[in-house]
Amino acid sequence: MHLVFAYIDPGAGSLVIQAIIAGIVSIPFFFRNAIRSTIGRFRRKPTSGDAVSESAVPEDKGASPTHPE
Amino acid sequence: MSAGPAAEREPGSYRDPSGFVFRSGGVLYRQVNQSFADEWAAFESSGLHAALLAKGILIADEPAPLDLAFEPGAVAVIRPEEIGFVSYPFEWSFSQLKDAALLTLAAQALAGEHGMTLRDASAYNVQFLRGRPIMIDTLSFERAAADQPWKPYRQFCEHFLAPLALMARRDGRLGLLLRTYVDGIPLDLASQLLPRGTRWSPGLAAHVHLHARAQRQHADEGRDAAPKAVTMSATRRLALLDHLRRTVEGLRLPASGTEWADYADQTSYSSVGTASKEAIVGAMLTAVGGRHAWDVGANTGRYSAIAAQAGYDVVALDSDWAAVERHHLALRKAGEQRIMPLLADLADPSPAIGWANRERSSLLERANADVVVALALIHHLAIGRNVPLGMVSDLLADLAPHLIIEFVPKGDPMVRRLLATREDIFSDYTLDGFRAAFAPRFTIVEETGVEDSTRVIFRMKRRDP
Repeated sequence: MHLVFAYIDPGAGSLVIQAIIAGIVSIPFFFRNAIRSTIGRFRRKPTSGDAVSESAVPEDKGASPTHPE
Repeated sequence: MSAGPAAEREPGSYRDPSGFVFRSGGVLYRQVNQSFADEWAAFESSGLHAALLAKGILIADEPAPLDLAFEPGAVAVIRPEEIGFVSYPFEWSFSQLKDAALLTLAAQALAGEHGMTLRDASAYNVQFLRGRPIMIDTLSFERAAADQPWKPYRQFCEHFLAPLALMARRDGRLGLLLRTYVDGIPLDLASQLLPRGTRWSPGLAAHVHLHARAQRQHADEGRDAAPKAVTMSATRRLALLDHLRRTVEGLRLPASGTEWADYADQTSYSSVGTASKEAIVGAMLTAVGGRHAWDVGANTGRYSAIAAQAGYDVVALDSDWAAVERHHLALRKAGEQRIMPLLADLADPSPAIGWANRERSSLLERANADVVVALALIHHLAIGRNVPLGMVSDLLADLAPHLIIEFVPKGDPMVRRLLATREDIFSDYTLDGFRAAFAPRFTIVEETGVEDSTRVIFRMKRRDP
C-alpha cells in the first residue's frame, strides 16, 4: 500500500480510471507497435522513430506480430 | 543570501514546493529548493535537460550564482530565457492550445526515454516563443517510479483535453471557460456540455466522460479508509499517453468560419486603397522605430505582417477566435517567428485571475508595446460598443507611448452597416470630434488620407503627464 506522491492532487478517480483505460488501450497499442517493428524489419533498417521497441512491451503476451501487407 | 529588496517573487509561482520564480534587478530567476535536489540532479544526469533543450521543447536557461537565491534552502539558481510577451491559455485559439497539448505530451515522451516523467501538465507551463510553444517550467520533471500511474493525467485532461474537446465538438468560444476555471475545466462540466455524440468517440468517452464519472464515484475516497494504491506498468502508461496523443490529434475544428474570419477579404477597400494603407502604415511604423507592437483588432494579420517586416515583435489581438485561429495557422505554416496571435477584446480585456487576483495578470498589466496599431477598430469600439472616443483615447494612451490609428468616418460602408440597425446617437463621431477626443492624451504627429477611401490614418505620440 502506498500513496502517489505528487504536489498536485492526481485524484483518486483519475488514477483508477486511467489504469482501466490504460489496460484497454494497451492491447491495440501492442499490436500497432508489433506491426510497426515488423515493417521496420522488412525495410532497410528499423526506424528509430518507433515509440517503443518490441522488447519494451513485456506484457500482453500471446500476440504474435502479424505481417502487415 | 537574500537577493535584496529589489527582488520579488512571481505571484503565480507558489504551488510547487520544489522551487519558484522570482525577479531581481529586473532579471528573471528560478530557485531550486533543497527538497528537490535529487530530482534536479537526475534531470541533469539523465540527459533529459539537454535533450529537451536540443529539441526546443524546454526554455533555455543558464546557471546563476547560488548567492542570488531569493530565500534560504536553495540548491541551485538558474536564469531562464525570458518570454517577451506572456500569454495565457484562455487567450489562445484552438490550434494554439492543441499545439501546447502536443508539446506537453512530447515532453512526457522524451522524459520517458530518459527514465523521467512530468510532474504536472499545466497549460500555464507552456508559453509561445518565436512562434512556437515551449515549456517554461524547468522543474516539471522527476524520476519515473516503476508501476506508477501518470500523475498529471487529471490535470492534462482538465487543462488541455476538456477545453479542446469543447471547442472542437461544441463551440470555439468555449475555450474562454479557462478564464473562469484557472485550474482547468472540471470534467463533469465538460462532460455535460459536450454533445451526446462524443460518448461514441473512444478518446472523449474514456478521458472525459468516463473520467468524470470515475471522479464522482471516488469523490469520497480516503474519508473512511486509505485509498487503494493504483499501479500501472510502464507499457500501459505508454499506451495511455499514446491514446491521449491520438485523442488530441484527432480533435479538429469544424471547417465553417465566422463572420469575422472572412473580414479581411470584404473590407470596403479597393486594391488601390489597400496598397495605400499598407504603405502608410509601414512608413509610420518605421518612423516610430520601436521594438514591440500591439496590433489591436488584427483579424488575420495583414498589418501584423507589415509590423513584423518593419522589425517589430508583434502581439496580434483579435476578439474573434476564428480570426486568431486562422492567423495562428497561417503563421505556423509560414514559420513566422515575430507575431503572437492572441484572443483578446479591448472592450473587455483579460482580467487578472487566480490567487489574490495576482496569479495571472490582466492583459493591460502585460502591455509591453512601444506602439499600438489600431486599424479599422475605432468604429467597433465607439459605435459597436458605445465607448466614448475620449475613453478609447485614455485606454490606448495607457497601453503605449505611440499610436497609429485609423479613423473610419460615418460614410464608410462598414460604419453604415453598424448603424443600419440602430439609432445614430453618435453626434461626436466625426473627424473633428475624433481629433478633439484624442487631443488631451496625444499629439498628432502626422495624418494621411488613404487613397481611394474616406478613411484617415493618424500617427500620434502620447503627451507627457
